[in-house]
Amino acid sequence: MKKKKLYLPVLLAVFMLVTALTGCGGSDSHKVTKAKDLPGARIGVQVGTTGDSFVTENYEKKKGTDIQRYDKGADAVQALKQGKIDTVVIDDQVAKAFAEKNPDIKILDEDLVVEQYATVFAKGNDELREKFNKGLAAIKADGTLDKITDTWINKKGKYHYKKKVKNGPKLVIASSIDFPPYESFDGKGDIVGFDVEMLYAVTDHMGVSVEIQNIQFDSIIAAVDAGKADIGVSGFTITEDRKKSIDFSDSYIDTAQVMLVKGSGSDGAASFAEKIHNNFVKDGRWHYLLRGLGITLLITFFAVILGILFGFLLAVIRVAYDKNGSLRFLNYLAKLYLTIVRGTPVMVQLLIIYYVVFASVNINKVFVAVVAFGLNSAAYVAEIIRSGIMSIDDGQFEAGKSLGLKFHTVMIYVILPQAFKNVLPALANEFISLLKETSISGYIGLSDLTRGGQTIQSLTYDALLPLGAVAIVYLVLVVGLSTLVGKLEKNLKKNER
Amino acid sequence: MAEIMMEIRGLTKRYGDHTVLENIDLDVKKGEVIAIIGPSGCGKSTFIRTLDLLEKPTAGHIMIDGEDLNDPKTNVDEILPRIGMVFQQFNLFSNMTIKRNITFAPVHHKLMNQQQADEKAMELLERIGLADKADAYPSQLSGGQKQRVAIARSLAMNPEIILFDEPTSALDPEMVGEVLNIMRELAEEGMTMIVVTHEMGFAREVANRVLFIDEKVIKEDGTPEEVFHHPKNERLKEFLSSVLH
Repeated sequence: MKKKKLYLPVLLAVFMLVTALTGCGGSDSHKVTKAKDLPGARIGVQVGTTGDSFVTENYEKKKGTDIQRYDKGADAVQALKQGKIDTVVIDDQVAKAFAEKNPDIKILDEDLVVEQYATVFAKGNDELREKFNKGLAAIKADGTLDKITDTWINKKGKYHYKKKVKNGPKLVIASSIDFPPYESFDGKGDIVGFDVEMLYAVTDHMGVSVEIQNIQFDSIIAAVDAGKADIGVSGFTITEDRKKSIDFSDSYIDTAQVMLVKGSGSDGAASFAEKIHNNFVKDGRWHYLLRGLGITLLITFFAVILGILFGFLLAVIRVAYDKNGSLRFLNYLAKLYLTIVRGTPVMVQLLIIYYVVFASVNINKVFVAVVAFGLNSAAYVAEIIRSGIMSIDDGQFEAGKSLGLKFHTVMIYVILPQAFKNVLPALANEFISLLKETSISGYIGLSDLTRGGQTIQSLTYDALLPLGAVAIVYLVLVVGLSTLVGKLEKNLKKNER
Repeated sequence: MAEIMMEIRGLTKRYGDHTVLENIDLDVKKGEVIAIIGPSGCGKSTFIRTLDLLEKPTAGHIMIDGEDLNDPKTNVDEILPRIGMVFQQFNLFSNMTIKRNITFAPVHHKLMNQQQADEKAMELLERIGLADKADAYPSQLSGGQKQRVAIARSLAMNPEIILFDEPTSALDPEMVGEVLNIMRELAEEGMTMIVVTHEMGFAREVANRVLFIDEKVIKEDGTPEEVFHHPKNERLKEFLSSVLH
């Protein structure tokens, strides 16, 4: 019986993944061969990029046009391959990188708009910006930038710039590491690309070291603005809109927006074994999942502890008011807290805590996630513990009072031990959901288990295997924990009368 | 005459507009065993619960040693431990062993250290015939056993008076005797007791004073002989004829 229970969810998960990824959509395809075909087409873009604003400005209002905004260029390409969209509008060099790895897509020979890339700085941070511009001018003058361009953009020459200054004063760089050839992970998990080497060369001129943080593209400007990062380096196009919230350096490369469409070439149908090798074994890619799992478990563990401690405190405040009418003001605050936390998505809470609450301090992101998930969980824990306490017979309180014991003494020695036993299963279930909720940690740039799968996906352009593997790891954890909770529940029942 | 240990004046309890007890006066003398009888819902349980502040009196005074329990200025934490209470539903602490149920409060109040409390607990358990259950949990005991432990628990605090709120009402008939026997022994030893009860036999034989509460007030107050054999109040006569066939 037990075994069957375990197979069923696994089968279901695999089934759902397969249907989702083979794409049951794509009914009204619309062939795109030139820019004039764009009105009325299904167009994919990476959210917040120039491609996004160009398409939105020019085509969104046109009848039948459907703009799909993806977090990553790779996701848009994936959708294109599955026929969910007709074209992807994206930076030319990025398009080239995608087309090279995917024989079944091609670039249309027509530039939509020519633009310039620059790095971004917080408004008013002129001192840093000028130093950066000086360094940039220097590498333009001595030919370093040309050599980097040859290697990464024109694909000739083997020149690679190596960072020289690795210690001393450090700049925090925000970059969305999914934009080859400008920035991407190599097989070993190192960050490489045109932007990266340009950055290394310029900062060597400035005499500073750098730390690159992987942040979702559409969050980089917010991160720089909030002081979370000193410079944003992520293929930013200079636009008037962006100038309102940040300052740009001088431009370091010209680029264009182009259209990617599905071509006639085949995917080169790799065998399943090859796919497994490519996704997990090659370059030790399984490390992304293992390291991610470590982060997921770390966040969950400490968030659980914070959730119990704070949730417990909230529960006691609420009960003291319910039973005695004391702590009226604190009870009001606690209720307000519960309403807000339980009435808003945990994702929004995570973003607010990272970008607003801890905006001005450079703080460990795992800590931020622990705080966000812990405070969220506390609200649910509080209500679980409160219901546990309220379920204890009033006679236990009365007996304590008749023996002259104070409310808190009865609470600590008599009520809570019984309440805890009653709510242990419900608490355990709350922590199982918490484990799953941490999968959104990637939104503040943490490389948790889910983000690990996405990283592999961005390297291999394969969604089924990495995401499927991630789903299975979660499933095994959750089913394992649920089984433990079930056993615990049985044991507790045995101890009762 | 023995000294008065509890003096109740004008005790009134209301829930909103509904009055349960109206202006009750009562003097409890040391060593008295008072049985309170009356039809169900007459307020006799509420009355005894106000004496331990489990229900807050709406008005009136409960004087013990010149201090008023119903005065906000009184430090009731000093007085409440001296009043024992035995409940209809026993209310033993489910998460503690029998022994710990008995020793917890006296040790917490620093009336004795753990060792003294343990000795006292064993002595009390011997007396109620449950020494072998010292390490058992309440859920492993029968109702009668639980109630005997509950009595031992309140005795461990060396109370000056013990209040019993229908102590045998939740028991199977064959267990009523074992609990009443212990209460009888306590009465013989001179413990001051107020007992809300449906056991007319107990009220008649063990109590030396019987109160009939009805319609928010004490309708009759006398010796068992007077109350049971020469009732004056009409409502009491009706009540007795319905319970004593």
